Amino acid sequence: MALRLTVQVQLVLQALLGDPAREMYGLELSEETGLQPGTAYPILLRLEHEGWVASRWEDVDPRVEKRPARRYYRLTAGGAAAASAALSGARRPKGTALRRLAAEGGTE
Amino acid sequence: MRPRTPSQWVKVLASAGMWIAIGVSAVQVPVSGSRPWVAAACIMAFAVVSSAAALSGRLSSRRRGGSLSGRGRDDDDGPSGEAAHRWHTLAVVSRLMPSSAGRRWLAEAESVLAETTAARRGAAVRSYLLSAPRLVVMMWARQILRRAHPGPRRPG
Repeated sequence: MALRLTVQVQLVLQALLGDPAREMYGLELSEETGLQPGTAYPILLRLEHEGWVASRWEDVDPRVEKRPARRYYRLTAGGAAAASAALSGARRPKGTALRRLAAEGGTE
Repeated sequence: MRPRTPSQWVKVLASAGMWIAIGVSAVQVPVSGSRPWVAAACIMAFAVVSSAAALSGRLSSRRRGGSLSGRGRDDDDGPSGEAAHRWHTLAVVSRLMPSSAGRRWLAEAESVLAETTAARRGAAVRSYLLSAPRLVVMMWARQILRRAHPGPRRPG
C-alpha cells in the first residue's frame, strides 16, 4: 500500500528529517509537530511498515529513571532519501492550515 | 479483593453479619418461633451499617479522585479519577488489537502519557482513543495479510 502524504505525515517527516541521524521519541515528535501523540503513532507505524522509519525501545531501568522506557524513532537511510524526495514533490501545506491543525491537535 | 480502608472493613463485616443473621433467622425462627423481631432488627441494622460504609467509602473515593482501578490514592503517582478510567479504557482497547500490536500500542501510550503534563494528558489520551478504531482495523488487516502471504517479518 502506497503511503499517502497527508499534512500530518509531512509534519512527522519534516520533524524526523530535521536531523536524520537523531532518534526521537513519541512525546518529542508530538511536541515538535504539534500533533497529538495518538495521531502521530499510526503515522509512525505506517512509516515503519514502509521501511522509512526504524524504532527501538530505550534500554533503561524504569525504576531508576522513574519513568517507562521510551520508544525511539529515526529515519532509515532509504527512508531519509525517500522522505526528502516525497516532501520536495509534495504540495507544501499553508502556514494557516498548519497552525489550525496544531491547535486541533492534528487529528486525522 | 482485600479491604484496605476502615470503611471497606466495616462494609465487609456488616455484610457478613447481615448474611449470618439472615441464615440464623431462616433456621431458628421456623424451628423455635422465638422472637422473630430480634432477627429482623439484626438484619436491618447490619444492612444499614453496610450501606452507610459503602456510601462513605464511595464519597471519600470521589473526593480524592479514586476509581475502580484502585489508582488515584494520595500516595500514588498514577492517574486519578477520570484519567484512571481513560487509562483503563486504553488497556481494554489494546485488547481489540492483535496481541503483540496491542501490547506495543499500550506500552507506547503509557510511556508517552507518563511524561505528558497533567494539563495535556486528557487530550493525549483522547487522541489515542480516537485513533484506535482505525488502528485496530489496520492491525488486523496487516495480521490477516501476513498470515495469507507469509514473508519476511515486519515490526508491529
